Amino acid sequence: MIELIANSTDNILNNHTIKLLDEEQQQINDWLDLVAKQQDKRAFSQLFTFFAPRIRSHGLKKFRQEAQAMELVQETMMLVWRKACQFNADKGKASTWIYTIMRNYSFDMLRKVQSNKEDLISEDLWPMLDVEEDTDEQDHLQSRHLLSYINTLPTLQKQVVEGIYIEDKTQQELADELSVPVGTIKSRLRLAMIKLRDMMEDKS
Amino acid sequence: MIKFHPNKKMLTAFSAGELPLSLSIAVSAHIELCEECAQQAQQVEESLSHDTWHDESLENADFGDMLQSIMTTSFEPLETVVRAPHARVHIAGRDYQLPTAFRQYQDLKWSGFGAISRARIVNDEKNVRASLLHIGEGGRIPEHKHKGYELTLLLDGSFTDESGTYEKGDFILLDGDKSHSPYTEKGCLCYAVQDAPLHFMSGVSKVLNPLGNLIY
Ligand SMILES: [Zn+2]
Repeated sequence: MIELIANSTDNILNNHTIKLLDEEQQQINDWLDLVAKQQDKRAFSQLFTFFAPRIRSHGLKKFRQEAQAMELVQETMMLVWRKACQFNADKGKASTWIYTIMRNYSFDMLRKVQSNKEDLISEDLWPMLDVEEDTDEQDHLQSRHLLSYINTLPTLQKQVVEGIYIEDKTQQELADELSVPVGTIKSRLRLAMIKLRDMMEDKS
Repeated sequence: MIKFHPNKKMLTAFSAGELPLSLSIAVSAHIELCEECAQQAQQVEESLSHDTWHDESLENADFGDMLQSIMTTSFEPLETVVRAPHARVHIAGRDYQLPTAFRQYQDLKWSGFGAISRARIVNDEKNVRASLLHIGEGGRIPEHKHKGYELTLLLDGSFTDESGTYEKGDFILLDGDKSHSPYTEKGCLCYAVQDAPLHFMSGVSKVLNPLGNLIY
């Protein structure tokens, strides 16, 4: 079992005490925000200058080949550019978002190299279970059932769903109010959404 | 209530994208079912991200016109992310909805032996075999152990072995030394990953060989 897991991850958990957005993190968030809102090329260039060498260095460790490391840089930064507007600062740091894009791409890449499979399965392994505001008419029809479904959720999840969708609070406000980390709010919301979605699908 | 979780080391390897697909599917599916681990995985992602971006051993490199060429590509509009269909399986007269990690595995071929049905999921990792296993009402897998490891993620129903009773979402990792004989009263659906064939403890192992091959 143990040999499946690279040694490089051994020490990582000992030093994760970074919570506040320091200046650098804030800067990265701001750049990405500019890219998302205005397709700002200067801001993207700044992101590129920061991340490209770091992605390359990560890629070299992982693939031990310059060409593949460069592919990782190219594809990760391309996805950052194209999907910038999907980043939501409420959901965490821009740098973590970029990390997950790189991680997903390199997982698929490694799979292609090792098994010759192009199943792009990373999207399923790390799905974005985001709650989208749908304008779909069918959703509208279903929305009257929604309240009754919400009532069947476990109390903690119900609290979060009601706080955000009915009382219009932000995740941060709720976190403060309930004295729990934002991460807790997020995962409660996520679980609640999975449940609600399943209930709605069972009905339809 | 989920009692068995992947350990932190495995969660970290998963978040770093370093676990093989067979085990990644198991951890991903568990995370979708387990609030606690979902939260932990998020923290792990943050610290992995932090460490990756603060690696000091940076070299300069020439990226040529990569930046310019990226910025000429078109921007993806903010469409509502289209959610792909759910993973579902139909086995033994029932429909099951599975975690997202199983979404690509829709056209499964099931083979059966007694109360047990199996569908292969991952088959391309050296000795590793990963399958969905359905065990019907009152089904038992005879006492066996594994040379390697055996991971079972319980996706539906419940089963019991010498160490206790497991429920939906439980992530049960056994290594080679332990033998067990899982039994399910009402039936269950599991995702199982093994890296060696089952070794049956009883004297009639020959009779059980087909079963061993089926499960592995
Ligand atoms: Zn868990």
